[in-house]
Order: sequence, then C-alpha cells, then structure tokens
Amino acid sequence: MCQCCAEKKDIYLPELATVMDAKAMNVTERYLRLAMDDGPFDFVPGQFVEVSVAGIGEAPITISSSPTQNGGFELVVRKVGNVTKAIHNLNKGDKLGIRGPLGDGMYPVDEAKGKNVVFICGGIGLVPQRSFVNYVLDNRDDYGEVTILQGTKEYDQRLFTDEVAAWDKRDDVQMLETIDLPDKRWKSNVGVVTKLIPMIKSELKSAVVLVCGPPVMYKFVLMSLEEHEVPHENIFLNLERKMKCGVGKCGHCQINSTYTCMDGPVFRYSDLATMPEAI
Amino acid sequence: MSKPKIAIFDFACCEGCQLQIVNLEEELLDLLGGADVVEWREAMSEKCDEYDIAIIEGSITRLEDEERLKLIRSRAKILIALGACATIGGINKLKNNFDDLDEVKKCVYGKDANKPHLATQPTKAVDEVVQVDAYVHGCPIDRKEFTYIMRCLLMGKEPEIPEYPVCVECKAKGNPCLWEYGQVCLGPIIRAGCGARCPSNGFRCFGCRGYIDNPNVDAAKDVIDKFGLNIDDLKTKMVLFGSRQEPTIHG
Amino acid sequence: MSVKKIAKKDFVEFVETLIRKERVFGVQAKGDRFDFAPLESAQDLRLDYDVTLQPPKKFFQPPAEVLMTFEVGGGYQSQYDDEPFVLLGVHPYDMVAINQMDELFSQDNYDTHYMTRRNNATIVACDVAKPSENVFASSMGTAVVKSGYDVLLTDIGDSYVCEAATEKGEKLMAAAKKAVPADDAALKSREAVWAKNKKGLNRHELKCDPAYLPKLLAKAYKHPVWEERAKTCFSCGSCNQVCPTCYCFNVQDDVNWDMKTGKRERAWDGCLLDGFTKVAGEHEFRKQRADRFRHRIYRKGMYVPEKIGGQIACVGCGRCVAACLPDIANPVAVYNRLIDDLGIG
Ligand SMILES: Cc1cc2nc3c(=O)[nH]c(=O)nc-3n(C[C@H](O)[C@H](O)[C@H](O)COP(=O)(O)OP(=O)(O)OC[C@H]3O[C@@H](n4cnc5c(N)ncnc54)[C@H](O)[C@@H]3O)c2cc1C
Ligand code: SF4
Ligand code: SF4
Ligand code: SF4
Ligand code: SF4
Ligand code: SF4
Ligand code: FES
Repeated sequence: MCQCCAEKKDIYLPELATVMDAKAMNVTERYLRLAMDDGPFDFVPGQFVEVSVAGIGEAPITISSSPTQNGGFELVVRKVGNVTKAIHNLNKGDKLGIRGPLGDGMYPVDEAKGKNVVFICGGIGLVPQRSFVNYVLDNRDDYGEVTILQGTKEYDQRLFTDEVAAWDKRDDVQMLETIDLPDKRWKSNVGVVTKLIPMIKSELKSAVVLVCGPPVMYKFVLMSLEEHEVPHENIFLNLERKMKCGVGKCGHCQINSTYTCMDGPVFRYSDLATMPEAI
Repeated sequence: MSKPKIAIFDFACCEGCQLQIVNLEEELLDLLGGADVVEWREAMSEKCDEYDIAIIEGSITRLEDEERLKLIRSRAKILIALGACATIGGINKLKNNFDDLDEVKKCVYGKDANKPHLATQPTKAVDEVVQVDAYVHGCPIDRKEFTYIMRCLLMGKEPEIPEYPVCVECKAKGNPCLWEYGQVCLGPIIRAGCGARCPSNGFRCFGCRGYIDNPNVDAAKDVIDKFGLNIDDLKTKMVLFGSRQEPTIHG
Repeated sequence: MSVKKIAKKDFVEFVETLIRKERVFGVQAKGDRFDFAPLESAQDLRLDYDVTLQPPKKFFQPPAEVLMTFEVGGGYQSQYDDEPFVLLGVHPYDMVAINQMDELFSQDNYDTHYMTRRNNATIVACDVAKPSENVFASSMGTAVVKSGYDVLLTDIGDSYVCEAATEKGEKLMAAAKKAVPADDAALKSREAVWAKNKKGLNRHELKCDPAYLPKLLAKAYKHPVWEERAKTCFSCGSCNQVCPTCYCFNVQDDVNWDMKTGKRERAWDGCLLDGFTKVAGEHEFRKQRADRFRHRIYRKGMYVPEKIGGQIACVGCGRCVAACLPDIANPVAVYNRLIDDLGIG
C-alpha cells in the first residue's frame, strides 16, 4: 500500500462480528443478533450493513433493531440465494464479516418529531421499518399519533408476532394487520395492505408516511396516499436494488444518477421525480 | 463431515472432458483430497450405488441410456452435466440436423468419426432427460472453471456461471475483434466462462458453451450485412453447436 | 516545472536506461493494432500509435484483481498491488479519463485499491501523432490535456518536447541527460501540434458544445432513439469493456482447495450486460436492452458529470465505436440524432 492510502481504511474490508443469538422465524426467515468484535456500532434507523460470509460473498441487509436498544443489532434474513442461505447456517458464537452501517438515506427520525407517523409494511418490509417503529416507541413523547399497517401474504409468513401483538395492545399505537390469503387461524382483515389505509384513525394529510414492501406494492400504496392528499415530501420509500460494493463505486444499485447504497435506501418520494427508474 | 462421494459417468462422447479432469494433475489430488471418487471408468473401476455428486459426461442417444441416467439421478444429491455433449447435446446433436453426416463427423471428430455411438436415434442433452443442478459448459470443458464449480458445490454454494457472452472476456483480454479480420465469430451470443479461449488464440468462437440466455440473433444478421458476409456463413457456423437451441437464424 | 527538448535517438537511449531501472509499460504493436504492454526494449515503444486496443485503465483497475484474502470464519486481509511503475505513451483523451477516474475513486469513499496503483504510477503522456479511425476528442475538448500526467511528450519532428509537470516527472526526466531546455521554436512547434489536434482528432463531429449534453439528455429520456438502436444490441458489453471511463465492477469470492482460505476478487462488469441489475428472485430493474443502452449514454453524458463537476464522461477515444459490431454504440451518432430532433437550447 502507498503512503497516502496507508492512512485510509479499506472500504471493502469487513470487520468481524459475532452471532450473539440466532433463531428461525419461519421457513424462509432467520433472525440474528450480532455484536461487533471491536468498537461501538452507531447507526440510524433505515441504514443497512453488508453482511459477509467468507467464501460465499456479501449481501446488503437492513438493520432491524432500533439504536435505542442495547446489546448489539438485529438482522432478519430471507433465504433466497447463496449468501442468504449461508447466513441461515450461522449459529450463536459464529463469526461473520460486517461493513457499515451504510446508506445516507435514513428514516427521518428528527423531521418526523411532533408529527403523526404512519408505517405501511408489506411482507418482509416490516423488518427495516421495525427499526424506526421501535425508535419512535422508545421516544414516544417526541412523536404524534403512531399507526402501523402490516400486510402479509400467508399466515405462516407473519414476522415478529409477539412484538406486533404488543404494539397492538398499546393504546398509543394503532396497529392494523391484514392477510392476503388467510386460513382458518386468521380472524382479522383480509386482502392487500392498501385496504387498511382508509381505516387509519389519525390525520394522514400532515403525517409522515413510511413505506416498505415488495416493488409491486409501491404503486398501489402511492395511489391511495395520493387520494388522501399526502404531500410527496412527507412520504418515504425504502427501495431495493442489486448491490455489490455498498459504497457508491460498483454501479449496480444505480437508479438513474442516484446510488441507492449512498443516497438510499430510504428516499423521499418527492425526490424520486427526477428518477424515472425508481418505481 | 465425511468426504462427499463423487461418481462420474460417461454416455455418448469422446471422453475428452474426462481427459481434462485427468489432466488436472495437481488439482486433481486436491479434488480427491476433498472428495471420494467412487465410480470413474476412466480412472478407476470400483462400482458404488450412492453418491453426493454425480457427474454426467456425454449426450443421451439410446433408450437404455435414458433409463440408466434416471437411475443415476435418483441416487445422486447433485447432478452435474459435464461438457457440451451433456449440457447442450454437443456435437452429437449434429445428426439431428444433417442427412449426410460423414463429412461433418470427419471434420469434427477426425479419426474418431466412426465411433459406433454416433449412429443412433435423436440425441438429447442431459437436461432433456433429468433435472441438472450444475452445468460445466464447453467442448472440451475449461479446467479452471471445472475446479471452481467443484469447490463451490463442495462448499454448498451455487456456482456463478457467466450470463454474459464471450466478447466480455475477449475484450478483457485486449484481443482485437476477429470480425474485423473476416472471421464469423459467435462470441456475442455465446456464454462466456472459457476465458475467450478461441479468439485469444486467433480462432473464431464456434459456440461450444451454448447460447447466453437471451441472445440477439437478429443483431447477428445485421452484423453479417455490415461486414459484407453471407447469411449462410453464419448459419453454417451456428449449426455446429446451436442446432438444439431455439433461436436459430432465419433468412 | 521544466520544459525540455530531446532528440528522438536520445529519447530511445533514455527509455533504454529507464527499462533497466524501473517497471515500464508502454504502447507497442499488437498485430496490426497497438496496446499497452510490459516494455522490454525501447525499440518496441510506438509513440506514433493511433489508439490502443485497451485503455490504460487496466493499470489502475485491472480486469480482475484480488481485494482481500480471508479465512472461513476468521478475518479478512486487504491485498494491495503496490509496485511502482512507469506508463509510457498515454494519449490526452485517456489522460483526461484517468483524471476523471481518480476523482471518482477518491471522492466520497476513498478506494485504496485503485489509489494505491494510481499513486505508484508515473505517467508519461504523449500528444497524438496519428489520429485513429474513430477518435472524436476534438469534439469533446480532450484532444490536449493540461493536468494529471507527470511528463507530457510532444512529437515535433526530429525531437520530443517533454514537459515535467510534477516532482515525479522531474525525477524521471533527470535521467534524460541529453535533454536541453526547450527553445522558442520547439515550444512553437508544440503549440502547432496542439492547435492541429484540437481540430483534427474529429472523425465524428458532435453538433453541440459537450457542456450542453446534460441539458440535451434531460429532455431525451423517452426519445425513440433508445429503442431503435438497442434493437440490434447484443448486450455484449464490448462498449463498456473498452471504455476508459467505464468502471463498474462485480465482486466474487473463491476458496482454495483447503476450503478454509480464499480470496475476494473484483472484476470488470458492464451496465449493458443482461443481469447487471438482476436481484435474487429474478427481478431485473433494467430488463430491456433499450433501458441498458440508454443508461450507458446517460452515464457518460449526465449521471457521471454530476459527480465530477460537469465534465462529460466520454473522452472521445472512439473505442466503443470500433468495438460495437452492430455499429450502434457511437455516442456522437446518438447525441447528434437527439440534436436533430430536439434542437439546441
Ligand atoms: C438496502 C437493502 C436492504 C436489504 N435488507 C434486507 C433484509 O433486511 N433482509 C433480507 O432478507 N434481505 C434484504 N435485502 C435483500 C438481500 O440483500 C438479498 O436478498 C441478497 O443480497 C441476496 O443475496 P444472495 O447471495 O442470497 O442471492 P444471490 O441471488 O446468490 O445473489 C448474488 C448477489 O447479488 C446481489 N443481490 C442479489 N439480490 C439482491 C437484492 N435483492 N438486493 C441487493 N443485492 C442483491 C448481492 O450482492 C448478492 O450477494 C436488502 C437489500 C437491499 C438493497
Ligand atoms: S464436450 Fe467435447 S470434449 Fe467433452 S466429451 Fe463432449 S465432445 Fe468430448
Ligand atoms: S473476436 Fe469474437 S468474442 Fe472477441 S470481441 Fe470479436 S466477436 Fe466477440
Ligand atoms: S471461445 Fe467459444 S468455442 Fe471457444 S471455448 Fe469459448 S465458447 Fe467454446
Ligand atoms: S463512450 Fe466510447 S468514445 Fe466515449 S470514452 Fe467511452 S469508449 Fe471512448
Ligand atoms: S451497444 Fe454494441 S458494444 Fe455495446 S452491448 Fe450493445 S452491441 Fe455490444
Ligand atoms: S452497491 Fe455499488 S454503487 Fe451502490
């Protein structure tokens, strides 16, 4: 390495972390709690890490826990390919590599203060949103009315059921859940998540609305929010793109001129006007 | 963890690909260190009925071969198609396209042209008979890629085989394009992974690794015009390995 | 810094001494083309070349490079290639491209791998003596270069004017014992070469000032040209691979046979390739050839310029024009078509 580079850190080099806790949430999702081996780990809700399994590769995964909670940070990983499959094989005490936290596009933790906050989650979209949900609940007095909408395809795919039940019990949170293809076990709302939007009790127009789910969900949610006259400046979307480097170099995550890994993954809807590829 | 068992079977082919494995020498010892080879006529004779990885070489030309292959599939956790014969039907597929084979056989096989397995019924690639978990493309296979794929499988990882065409590797090597020297190179529509073996040695790519997933054959026609060549030039070049696959040149 | 003049035969001698002392790469013939390669004899150096097959980016971002090694379940170790070298014969347009890459790899997140190679390089640029078949550097304002190099050579007939622009350059030229301070006549001849190249490296003529391109593209997103051209696109990525300002990459792991140690490598990738934006579950964000074709043109003319102070990220080397078999990649043809349809202003 040359002199000037010797002082700089290698942006591609993962640091070691240890799995403090790991468990299967259902067939496809695995929960992990990690702690960095060296030094503190400070992040803002909405940021992600590049999880590295040596020999297999790296995958970007959003931090699911809130920075207000101590004892490491949490990830939830869906098994879809090589890296995520390898992450599923990790157990308590195993080592893995972490780069991050990454992404300057975070949840608007300060901007949302004093306002109503509405979370709209589709499926695994709850995982990143959960970080901000818990942040808001841990600083409950700073925020207005809190509404959480969760849509899941099938009963067995529901995530964090205990936590969701606890949110549901609170009288300072409106928790609405729906299932697309329910079975006998489900006694509540049926259908896609957009069906829940008219049921929101708090005022939507002035609320900060946070949306995260599969790509197809965004169009319909945005249409509905449009009907409720939510200004685009108040809507935040969590976008997913293929990522390799996570640090704005490799080009894979580009949405037009924007690098999702640098300027996202959370975007203000009004900023997407110049990004025709976004939705 | 006990060593995974690997079995190698050959069907209709020249066995050139097995030769590539035998030629691995040092790396072959590494492979044997990480796994047990239980059936391999080329290198040993022991028979065994259970294996973690079955490697199939050659294409399927006879009914009894289909039965044998299905049996192998049922006993194998992972099944690999090795070499163009197995992955795309290879040169054996030619006989599906031509009435008079002799000339082609001679040109392709040279002195092997009269091997008996070349004169039977319609030829099938392995995945036309059973499910294939991993493909080792090429005629013959690329040793480096073969060892990479084996390491991936032994690690429980799906190997990353290029989806892009040969031109990518050709350009990365800094080769001048053979089209500019009057050669009809199939590089733009053939799957990379061989390190652009042929163009790097001055020979056009003749397509032994099979098409990429989404080849633009219409573009190929345009290019033929641009270089003042005849569409038949391309047709004859494509047919060598492209005969089984869907996008064929019309016009 | 100093501007000297050296007779061509003395220059050959100088290069000979250089080769003995340092790791030198220079432009050489490769068949009937040219390329950068390790220089073994000064006689092989061809500063009269038109264009190299590959741009010099490969010295800073090789087609494939090891970023780190690792132990499964253990730590990661950065790997660097830090052997100093001299690069002989970089044309101005390629130098401009290197300057742009320097900016892109060092801004925001500093890439120590690229920058280690870059900082270990001594670059001897040289003005173009013979225009290539597809060069359009004059249109892009890259026919001459004012910064980035350590030494700039200009062929003025029987000798070279050599300008040392940095400490490194001065040190390198100190070995050219027979170089003398450049006289007025030599400097005038150099001016003449520059004046000639500013006009003459223009096989494709852009119908607007390059500074206008971002504005042009701002209104061209839905233009039919993308679809029309991309119809015959192979998605072969050749236009990416040969481009001095394409730097997208892929990262992949490989293990050794012990299944315990291994390496993480990065390799050139290309936004024209099918699969570049494909995520697990088979969703592909730029699935259509036209989407990808447009992305490259926008990257050169609008997206990257936003990151590097408005400079257009096409330096007019013409390599993509030559490399594209269906003959659709030529950026000037695309831009001019848009100007014809959409006008200027
Ligand atoms: C900002 C961000 C946050 C994410 N958060 C989560 C999360 O909290 N939980 C979760 O389960 N998944 C999350 N994902 C998706 C997750 O990154 C992919 O499922 C994962 O990369 C797939 O890798 P693989 O090796 O298993 O699959 P393969 O198909 O083998 O992928 C190979 C490589 O391609 C890239 N890649 C493939 N799919 C994706 C993708 N969807 N997004 C980005 N890169 C991809 C990765 O570099 C990956 O290593 C997130 C994606 C992004 C961009
Ligand atoms: S693929 Fe080629 S080398 Fe391999 S067995 Fe078949 S014919 Fe022989
Ligand atoms: S020689 Fe063949 S593989 Fe190489 S660039 Fe030309 S067409 Fe592509
Ligand atoms: S260049 Fe073409 S023919 Fe040659 S090995 Fe590669 S894919 Fe096969
Ligand atoms: S876009 Fe083409 S002409 Fe422009 S710099 Fe890249 S290769 Fe050269
Ligand atoms: S534009 Fe030309 S060079 Fe680029 S990918 Fe398409 S066909 Fe290949
Ligand atoms: S992931 Fe590489 S640039 Fe964003």
